[in-house]
Amino acid sequence: MTPNPGSDPKPGNWVAVGLAWAAVGIPLAWGVFQTGVKAAVLFR
Amino acid sequence: MPGLLDRQRTVAGPGFNRWLVPPAALAIHLCIGQAYAFSVFKLPLTKVLGITGSLPTDWTQKELAWVFTLAIVFLGLSAAIFGKWLERVGPRKSGVVAALCWGTGFLVSALGVSLHNIWLLYLGYGVIGGCGLGLGYITPVSTLIKWFPDRRGLATGMAIMGFGGGAMIASPLSQALMDHFTSGSSVGLIPTFIVMGALYAVAMLAGAFGFRVPPDGWKPAGWTAPASSAALVTHGQVHVNTAVKTPQFYLVWAVLFLNVTAGIGILEQAAPMIQEMFDGKVAAAAAAGFVGLLSLFNMGGRFFWASLSDRIGRKATYAIFFTLGPVLYFLIPVTGRMGNVPLFVGAAALVITMYGGSFATVPAYLADLFGSQFVGAIHGRLLTAWSAAGVAGPVLVNYIRQARIDAGVPKAEAYETTMHLMAGLLLVGLVCNLMVRPVADRYFMSEEELARVRASIRGAAAH
Repeated sequence: MTPNPGSDPKPGNWVAVGLAWAAVGIPLAWGVFQTGVKAAVLFR
Repeated sequence: MPGLLDRQRTVAGPGFNRWLVPPAALAIHLCIGQAYAFSVFKLPLTKVLGITGSLPTDWTQKELAWVFTLAIVFLGLSAAIFGKWLERVGPRKSGVVAALCWGTGFLVSALGVSLHNIWLLYLGYGVIGGCGLGLGYITPVSTLIKWFPDRRGLATGMAIMGFGGGAMIASPLSQALMDHFTSGSSVGLIPTFIVMGALYAVAMLAGAFGFRVPPDGWKPAGWTAPASSAALVTHGQVHVNTAVKTPQFYLVWAVLFLNVTAGIGILEQAAPMIQEMFDGKVAAAAAAGFVGLLSLFNMGGRFFWASLSDRIGRKATYAIFFTLGPVLYFLIPVTGRMGNVPLFVGAAALVITMYGGSFATVPAYLADLFGSQFVGAIHGRLLTAWSAAGVAGPVLVNYIRQARIDAGVPKAEAYETTMHLMAGLLLVGLVCNLMVRPVADRYFMSEEELARVRASIRGAAAH
């Protein structure tokens, strides 16, 4: 029987998940914010 | 003992959390998404020698246009050629090669600027960087689909959303770096390219080393594959060499090609179009804001439509693109005649969500039709549709618009024919999509063939 690695995450793994998402989410959020500011000119 | 980059070293152990894979994929896609922001370099590249203005010996916009075109062509070619290799060696090795190509592409481009040699720019960003784009684009796809058989659209949508979002980071970052490095004797491009190449290589390597592949036969706890094949979801596996002999592959190729070509019709002309259609009402800064808004919708559409496709099916999702799209393309010129800017912006934004959604939904469509074993390689070959659209779309749009203007049609109305043509392309896409049927049984691999392929992958990984 194949072990089922994805279905039983260790509790500590969720911290790693949070950190991994923050590592990509923060630059993305910055980029979205910068673009949003630029796009806001259209509505002025 | 398998090497650090071997597939065998990336097989996940018990307790691995599959939600660690999408950020690894995003790290790669956010970097290669810079390609959409290449235009930020265009003006400085025309002033490398003149610094404050262009000299006759400086590069022209026409020469520089080839850099991006080459990158998109090599994206498609490398994805098509190396997709099969990726399935054999796994996402880590492929991600590392993509990182090295993308980073090296920037460094060679910096050398090209330093020597003012356009061929080095073509080689660096266009060829080497283009290969990094193609490999980076397909690297996470099959891994994500194998980890998320229950949410294929959501998983690939998250990664491919990064490609749309990458430009949003790259554009202000490039501008900030160029502003920082600009001096009286330089436009700041060389250090900007070096810094960006290094940053991207590091971030992509981090992503590549974050990948884990599930063991063969793994599935999420409590999940069973849907029993019905009504939604075109197969339980079998089609080899990449066989997939390209099926009509379904070419129909989905046409579906992607037509949708992307139509989307480029808006993207390519966004800033001049809004200014010319609403003459005097929309200033240059607002037009730039419109382009930014389209980027946001391009990114959001990738996530939204791909996730929705998990619920309503891929074919139904594309059917929405191909029925709603033509209506919007007919509506856009009408909004121009009405002078209704908000309606125009809304229609264009919705079109762009479907352009992005088309990219993000197609890997799941392929996995549904051909199975997940070779989906990365099959997706790689399908991306030639993007390359073809990247060349055909702008040529078509610019040629038709210019022909209309030459015929004496006012600029504001010259877009009408283009929009109607795009609507026509989408209707052809609708027919292609409707013709997609489940893949015939004769194309599927037998259990023995599949076991042999999996054993050979394990064997290759061990060496």
